[in-house]
Amino acid sequence: MIGGAARLSRNDRLLGAAGGFAALVVLVGFGAIVFDLFQTGTASLSIPFLVGKVENGGRAGGIGPVLISTGMILLVCLAVALPLGTGCAIWLSEFASKIRFARAITAGIDLLASVPSIVFGLFGMVFFCRTLGLGFSITSGGLTLACMILPIVIRTTLIGLSGAPSNLRPGAAALGLSRVSTIRHLLLPVAIPGVVVGTTLGISRALAETAALIFTSGYATRWPEGFDDSGRAISVHIYDLAMNVPGGAANAAASALVLLLALLFINYLATLLADRWLLKRIAPTSE
Amino acid sequence: MITVENLSIHYGNLAAVRDVSLDIPEGKITAVVGPSGCGKSSFLASLNRLTDLIPGAKVAGEIRLNGKSDIVNDPGLDLLELRRTVGMVFQKPNPFPLSIRKNFELPLLEHGISKREIPGRIESTLREVGLWDEISDRLDESAENLSGGQQQRLCIARALALRPKVILFDEPCSALDPLASGVVEDHIAALRGKVTVVIVTHNLAQARRIADEVALFWVRDGAGCVIETGPANTIFDRPKDPDAALYFSGARG
Amino acid sequence: MSPSVNDRVAGAALGIAAWLCGGISLLILIWVGVEAIPALNNDPGISSLLGDAHWLPGSVREPQFGMLPILAGSVLVTIFSIIPATVAGVGCAVFQRFYAPKWMRTFLRRVLELLAGIPSVVIGFWGLVVLVPILQKWQPPGQSLAAAAIVLAIMILPTVALTASTALKNVSPGLFRAAAALGMGRARTILGVALPTARRGIAGGVILAAARAIGETMAVVMVCGNVAQWPGSIFDPIRPATATIALEMSYATAGHRSVLFALAFFLVLVVGAAVGWIAFRKPSTPHRR
Repeated sequence: MIGGAARLSRNDRLLGAAGGFAALVVLVGFGAIVFDLFQTGTASLSIPFLVGKVENGGRAGGIGPVLISTGMILLVCLAVALPLGTGCAIWLSEFASKIRFARAITAGIDLLASVPSIVFGLFGMVFFCRTLGLGFSITSGGLTLACMILPIVIRTTLIGLSGAPSNLRPGAAALGLSRVSTIRHLLLPVAIPGVVVGTTLGISRALAETAALIFTSGYATRWPEGFDDSGRAISVHIYDLAMNVPGGAANAAASALVLLLALLFINYLATLLADRWLLKRIAPTSE
Repeated sequence: MITVENLSIHYGNLAAVRDVSLDIPEGKITAVVGPSGCGKSSFLASLNRLTDLIPGAKVAGEIRLNGKSDIVNDPGLDLLELRRTVGMVFQKPNPFPLSIRKNFELPLLEHGISKREIPGRIESTLREVGLWDEISDRLDESAENLSGGQQQRLCIARALALRPKVILFDEPCSALDPLASGVVEDHIAALRGKVTVVIVTHNLAQARRIADEVALFWVRDGAGCVIETGPANTIFDRPKDPDAALYFSGARG
Repeated sequence: MSPSVNDRVAGAALGIAAWLCGGISLLILIWVGVEAIPALNNDPGISSLLGDAHWLPGSVREPQFGMLPILAGSVLVTIFSIIPATVAGVGCAVFQRFYAPKWMRTFLRRVLELLAGIPSVVIGFWGLVVLVPILQKWQPPGQSLAAAAIVLAIMILPTVALTASTALKNVSPGLFRAAAALGMGRARTILGVALPTARRGIAGGVILAAARAIGETMAVVMVCGNVAQWPGSIFDPIRPATATIALEMSYATAGHRSVLFALAFFLVLVVGAAVGWIAFRKPSTPHRR
């Protein structure tokens, strides 16, 4: 404790009150958002809602196809981002012999992390949908999201790898262990917590994303017939119901509640895992 | 026999070792001594090309193992094979955070030793370092549970299991308590005649006790170099170099 | 295959992955940039973008592409969201670090993290169905610069609060001991010692938050009213760059489409420059630490 813990002057108490008020605003604001969504969303929330097909533009029916599309987009996203991201992180930490190259790649990844999501949407639209000829599809949406979450996966994997004891690498090299064995048997076990945390954070970012998907995976509400089919993610569904479908607010609220609950759970999991495994190595979120 | 000729090591623009030439006799124990920061450890790391791991490190000159291919410059050199032949034990014990058995299996399998042979190798090398009776019943426990001295002997055994021709020791006792240090030192001394040993040490008394040959490193013109070499039984008594004389008498360094 | 060959193959494969990851941002700049070229060149051209009085891209007879009101919308909404978010965020961090009991400290952090995790489309939806009707009763039409600023402020507040909290935590305990030894009160220690010492970290968080605010789409598009005009008051509707792209891309063609890409390209440059500046700014001079 600082500044005379026993007796607080008037100024001290005033500053405390101001700070406390700010904290109260945050708590009340958060509470209000969650409460409002619960209140408006629980009415339409039911099992049939979760598995039923979308009817009447979303005003009626459920969100079954939307959840399936969301899952498929996520699947494509992770299938690409995980190997690519962990591979990139391993190369940066274990193979990059020229510091210049590593710096260039890191700068590219930092820039990638700063790109606004709507820009990812435009990029996905011209690059994946048109240049690569994938069309408005679940694949295009998943690939766009993969670009978006790559920086998260790479960063957390790097944090995980940096947790390896410093004498591990020279020790392994001195025994003539190949890099492949060193990575597989000694470094990956250390890095896996980072990969897991990165995956959870990546999933939460991908699930929350709307702007990048509007122009890549499209709006279709039918049951998706394959990865080359268009399909709307749940966030796009919420947006569309709220903005373009008069009378869609009730189902939008229920969908928002589903998304919110899923994300609160996943984020809670990520913080828990990060606290336990990465300890204080993820700076901004740790105490 | 290791022949080192005109060896220089730079880190970026900084010279760590300059123009070192040294013959390291086969089957003997050669101690590399000198004050800290004089390039002893850099020199040692160049013998198994562990300098490759240090970003910006550049090595020039020649190192030949038994007159064969040049460790520094040969483009076709198999690094992994070199490091099997030239083992290394570090200042701080560095067992892998795995079971004791895995600590042996990982490098042995890497170098093509069959699974059947491995238990025998583990037993024989653990016996060589006097660990077998202490830990034979807990080979599947984590190596990190061992005491510091045991860990260091495990690391020596792990290096020995690859049947190296040379083992490099980088101040292997300086992180251990005196008792454990003595045990480890005895087992290093026992390697005489079996493998070529190069040991870097701060401890002159230790060098006196176990070395056959001694090379004294010193900083001249901002870089490490060898200022005195000779058999251990004479070098301490009749050094030619004035700095060496002061260092051995305890007045310098 | 021998182990060293394995190493070379693995190194090459992972190297390709790494260059691919690092190259995506370049791909984005190129692909978005190429689409933006006509707009900057002659269709409709920079003079039209900066000179036209209005944003009427769909007009058949005489389309106008004056994007200044749109850029102004982006800048205004960012400024009006960053001010309350900074005040509340830093206040929250100060309370959390220096006043709250230990259990509350962790609780507050968890809440902030959860708040940061609420997706923008959900906050936007909340703004649309809860916040906008309230504003509408008071200052119609409700969907406005104010609504967008409030929604954005809620979204970026956790970023400010969490980075400020970390920055305050990194203030060396020696400074606090020194302040206590001089008999300084808590408020004076916080205002005079802790906050100035932590200001680099706090400023970094604020800039990150601002970068996020200017690039945010969904939350804004749902509550800003989407009228491309110079707002006369804070309760007038606006249409920032991100909202313009989201709303018009689906039907835009030719020059209009290219202008939207130019807006996107511009956003990447601004946000990238802000984030890059934080990453590469010079370490502070020693006497200030």
